[in-house]
Amino acid sequence: MKIAVVGKGGSGKTTTAAVLARTLARTGRSTLALDCDSNPNLGISLGLGEDATEHLVAVRDAVDAGEEEHATTADDLVERFGVDAPDGVRLAVVTAIQNPQPGCP
Amino acid sequence: MRVAFVGKGGAGKSSLAGTFARSLAATGERVLALDSDPMPGMAFSLGIPQSDAGLPDDAVEEYQDDDGRRRYRLRPGLTGPGAVEQFSAAGPDGVRFLQLGKARGPRWNNTRQHFGFQRVLDDLPQDGWDVVGDLPGGTRQPFMTWGRYADTFLVVIEPAPASLLTGRRLARLAQAEPAPRVLAVANKVREPDDAQRIAERTGLPLLGAVPFDPLVGEADRLGRALLDHAPDGPAASAVRSLVESLRRETEPA
Repeated sequence: MKIAVVGKGGSGKTTTAAVLARTLARTGRSTLALDCDSNPNLGISLGLGEDATEHLVAVRDAVDAGEEEHATTADDLVERFGVDAPDGVRLAVVTAIQNPQPGCP
Repeated sequence: MRVAFVGKGGAGKSSLAGTFARSLAATGERVLALDSDPMPGMAFSLGIPQSDAGLPDDAVEEYQDDDGRRRYRLRPGLTGPGAVEQFSAAGPDGVRFLQLGKARGPRWNNTRQHFGFQRVLDDLPQDGWDVVGDLPGGTRQPFMTWGRYADTFLVVIEPAPASLLTGRRLARLAQAEPAPRVLAVANKVREPDDAQRIAERTGLPLLGAVPFDPLVGEADRLGRALLDHAPDGPAASAVRSLVESLRRETEPA
């Protein structure tokens, strides 16, 4: 199954997504948690801690920096850019805004 | 003063911004309250019935610049103060309220309103108007687009890891030129050292702290403005102190 959690700021999206991911993983399913927020905090709710979450490298940044070859498959992408979170959840951060540039609201 | 509230979703930006705008207006200043969040919530905290206090499409016209690029400007004859006069909603304590507009559908495009909104603010005189804005949550370029009008950014931060991390990210983003004044507002503070911890963990100077106050949640559930529900409660009183502190900071005697 593929679940997207959406809603207003502060209503509990990240917390809900993290609990869903860990609950699914505990039943033995392979679970990928994707943080698609430009202000990515899902790692904190999954239990990685504030500092580890801050230092996660977004897939987009890694590819843009040219330090990594482009992944050839989705599995490859998750393998290379994901990190392990509790209960066997694999976490990948899609994008994070690091360097502001005018134009994009 | 021209102030914009930023921070993580749920940190309390809308509640504090609306309460701040009205508290400032109650001292006799002319205040324009701006909601530029596409998921707007500021009208509630101002105590204004939900309305479309936005720019109509025909207030903004499209043109091509010398390089043939598409640009937007206010229609001929329409000024910033005129737009505020015509299109803003009048709220309690004399505050005027203008909203960017709501997300109306899956393909709703707000480009025209976005640029019109900025033209209104560019054209509004610095003297005689205080501006208090509620910006979208998160870290989507608040200092360059929605909040461009502001000379002071107040980052609303709860004493919780995700909120602290967002505060640090915003502090980093703010280092772009021209660097605005960026101050932390500690919100939902419960422990004596919470505010200090927020200042330390974000590296931001602290303007003040607002205590955790169940009356804020109560007002929220009822859809009422905090200043109408509990004007003398701990949070409302703390916001009035923020207004005074920022005044001292921005207008040294």
